[in-house]
Amino acid sequence: MDLLNIFIKSAFIENLALAYFLGMCSYLAVSKTVRTAFGLGLAVIFVLGITIPINWLIDHYLLSENGLFGMDLTFLRFILFIAVIASMVQLVEMVVERFSPTLYNALGIFLPLITVNCAILGGSLFMISKEYNFAESVAFGLGGGFGWFLAIVAIAAIREKIRYSNVPAPLRGLGIAFIITGFMGMSFMALMGIDPAALIK
Amino acid sequence: MRMKKLRELFQRFEPDKKEHPLLHTLYDGLFTFFFVPNTVTTQGAHIRDKVDLKRVMVTVVLALTLCYIFGIWNIGHQHFLAIGQYTGLFEGLHLKFAFGLAKILPIFIVTHLVGLGIEFYYAAKRGHSIEEGFLVTGALIPLIMPPDIPLWILAVGVAFALILGKEAFGGTGMNVWNIALLTRVFIFFSYPAVISGDEVWVAGLEAAKPGAAAQYGWIETHLFNPLFELLGLSTFPDSATVVDTFSGATPLSLAFTGGWDAVTARFSPAELWFGAIPGSVGEVSKPLILAGMAILLITGVASWRIIAGGILGAAITAWLLNLWGATPMMQIPWYYHFYLGSALFAITFMATDPVTASTTPMGKWIYGLLIGFFGIIVRVINPAYPEGWMLAILFMNTFAPLIDHIVIEMKIKRRLSRAKV
Repeated sequence: MDLLNIFIKSAFIENLALAYFLGMCSYLAVSKTVRTAFGLGLAVIFVLGITIPINWLIDHYLLSENGLFGMDLTFLRFILFIAVIASMVQLVEMVVERFSPTLYNALGIFLPLITVNCAILGGSLFMISKEYNFAESVAFGLGGGFGWFLAIVAIAAIREKIRYSNVPAPLRGLGIAFIITGFMGMSFMALMGIDPAALIK
Repeated sequence: MRMKKLRELFQRFEPDKKEHPLLHTLYDGLFTFFFVPNTVTTQGAHIRDKVDLKRVMVTVVLALTLCYIFGIWNIGHQHFLAIGQYTGLFEGLHLKFAFGLAKILPIFIVTHLVGLGIEFYYAAKRGHSIEEGFLVTGALIPLIMPPDIPLWILAVGVAFALILGKEAFGGTGMNVWNIALLTRVFIFFSYPAVISGDEVWVAGLEAAKPGAAAQYGWIETHLFNPLFELLGLSTFPDSATVVDTFSGATPLSLAFTGGWDAVTARFSPAELWFGAIPGSVGEVSKPLILAGMAILLITGVASWRIIAGGILGAAITAWLLNLWGATPMMQIPWYYHFYLGSALFAITFMATDPVTASTTPMGKWIYGLLIGFFGIIVRVINPAYPEGWMLAILFMNTFAPLIDHIVIEMKIKRRLSRAKV
């Protein structure tokens, strides 16, 4: 039940894209069609779902004071987290290229760029600051990824819908995408403030 | 014959579009108001139907008039209940209607001045004719405001929603989020003190607590009072204070703190149903909302799928929460959720907005069901907001295009698999 809480909370209430506005670069760049957004969203779910637990293990067993080396190595967090993320993204890239070359071409540079997607590193750092245990960090990773996936697929559908709208010329493209993101963040405020933990007591 | 002459006379005044874009827009707006426009589609197959955008919108406005009339009376009724005079439903009818009018007319006028002004400006600037899109939005906005809303805040809200929510997306029919709700949500998050809490739902009081003085504006004292004196009717009191037992709390805020018992201690279910309760102007009277719903359904303006989905979704969600029953709010019997707040109003008039809703039949069901679900979830489970429908509908507006996309993709896939066999 606790894990479900964390999943729901990280997916809807503390949405990485629409509450913290993380991962905006690929969020805005790859959301022109639902198809590519769907692919990138799945990749982000996968990367978040894998890297956060791995980073938890590294942080817990290698870097902390009662870890393998017996000293406080937490200053190495950033570099190690990024290394894990980069290798995972490499893995995803190889898998996507093998099984769906069209998606691979559509995503282009943004697939390797998941490495520097702030939502991914942000997820790992949130996991540290919220002091989750291992199972919770799995739930948080999957939930956060799902929330980001939902956000990018929704904005892609909206952008497909307004493709034939008579948007004023200066706003076409990124301008209107920013406005849409703002309104989406506002609509997600509907769920902000819900505290699943308080209900279950 | 005479009509044709009139038309020719009218056309003689047509200003040049290039030289006077503003004048031409004004002319065009008036012309299409009086006459059927000349422009017809020239190519491709098209459907012939007498129902155009104007008629659809006017039907919705007609359906809303009932809510307006009741809302005007209720503003006055709540005010006089607070100061303990004319407490009967039918006592002092003229005073209640006059008071309500004095409150709602400025809201209505400001909404339309700002809204039509922006609409007009963009029509001239972007070279298209004035669109009727603001008719319904302008009629809806006063109904979802508290009666004492400061007019400048209202103006800012309307301007925000129209410029960023509609014109930036390309004007009428292109917006993704419901304009009336954007206005309200903007005010709700930017100026929460004027649109939420227990003190804003009864108009014309210095403060919403016992002992505070009633306040009347120039319209009541200098326009209606002499008029009523002339007609030999009772007039607005010179000074009055709020009675000791007064509380401005809406049923929902009572429900939030004390559950259904706290609500029934103050309001009977009949009062809740017929709507003599404090609240936003248009949301209070459920039978009249149902009448408006009937008009919309019979004329086919609103989608019955969305309405049925919304009511079903809300009922099921509320019933499941009944079974859970962890907080006083969850224990409110599921059918009473429709007696409270803006559930019916929002499902009837906001969720069915054809521009922002899903467009596929299957998508409409999903859209409606999820609105019902999230509306109850936000209302019951989210302690941050007393009422959920505005936010639930905006939330589902975000996902409406995605729902359509998925429904269409699934249809295509099913057809393809059939074709293979």
